[in-house]
Amino acid sequence: MKICWTMKEIIVNFFQALIGFSGGIAVGAGFVAFLTVLGVIPRMVQLTKRKKLVKVYGACVLIASIFGTFISFANISWDQPTIMLIVWGLLHGIFNGMLAAALTEVLNVFPVLSKRIGMDDYLLFLLMAFVFGKIAGSLFQWLYFVK
Amino acid sequence: MSIVYLRMKKSVELPKYQEVTLKNIAHISIDSSYKEELDNTTIYHITKKDKNIVVIDSFLIIDYLNKKFPELELQVIGPAQCIIRIHEKKKPLSFLLVVIVWLILFIGTAMTIMNFHYDVSMQEVQQKLHFLLTGQENEFPLWIQVPYSIGLGIGMLLFFNHWFSKKFNEEPSPLEIEINNYQQNLDDYLIQNENMLDDERNNR
Repeated sequence: MKICWTMKEIIVNFFQALIGFSGGIAVGAGFVAFLTVLGVIPRMVQLTKRKKLVKVYGACVLIASIFGTFISFANISWDQPTIMLIVWGLLHGIFNGMLAAALTEVLNVFPVLSKRIGMDDYLLFLLMAFVFGKIAGSLFQWLYFVK
Repeated sequence: MSIVYLRMKKSVELPKYQEVTLKNIAHISIDSSYKEELDNTTIYHITKKDKNIVVIDSFLIIDYLNKKFPELELQVIGPAQCIIRIHEKKKPLSFLLVVIVWLILFIGTAMTIMNFHYDVSMQEVQQKLHFLLTGQENEFPLWIQVPYSIGLGIGMLLFFNHWFSKKFNEEPSPLEIEINNYQQNLDDYLIQNENMLDDERNNR
């Protein structure tokens, strides 16, 4: 790294930092808004029945976002065993499953099904169509479709 | 002068063409012997014209009861309207239809998750992740992807708090809340737009 920067370099670097920082603020705010709208975190609080943990979960999202940014830009690699891959994949899947379930496309289909078509009695049976559809679609893609 | 407390039922289901008595659409509380007479007062006749929904406003009931029992004072508590749903015999839903809907949802869901994965370049991210964690390149990081797929299902079940008819805990799931919201919106609409109080026929 050079010690002496020319005037031009200082200005260019300053603008780069400014652009990066502004972009970061916009994306960070958007990301949190997205998570909040989908209500995954309140749902986690509800499931674990610990209202006090909201702050802990919030901090977790914050730290994880920075960690994720770090590993997507840094060119590092570790030497982890396969079990780590499995755990990582599973947790990733659970989170994505909750996100997918929270999307309104799924939630809004059900009132219509139950009230309009009168499928009140089969609601849970139909819910399983979503669950198995997600699993099957995902497995199909990774095992056959991409090859 | 005794006071009658009248609490409208929010929504009731009644069979076709019958006389609607006060008992059907409201709870009443009174400290004298009027109770039975009030309970069995006919408020409305369901006719063929009513199709399947009638909204009865508490104002109409007060109006009517005031004329019939001028010695009573009426107090309405709770909802101001009652929605009467006239139910005809339900046709049993054909199993074939349920199966077709099930398949539509299944295929549709499978396709949306695949499109989502392409949209966010999941394959590349997972390849990079595989390299990050193990230090080896792998074009098909199945050790991440298969657990991921299973986790997808678990996450949805956790979110909905259901495994077929089994619930993980007592709280209502987002699904039930969403259906309840939808029902409330429908009821609000009906109260606004089907209210007999605003019906020209009754403003004579």
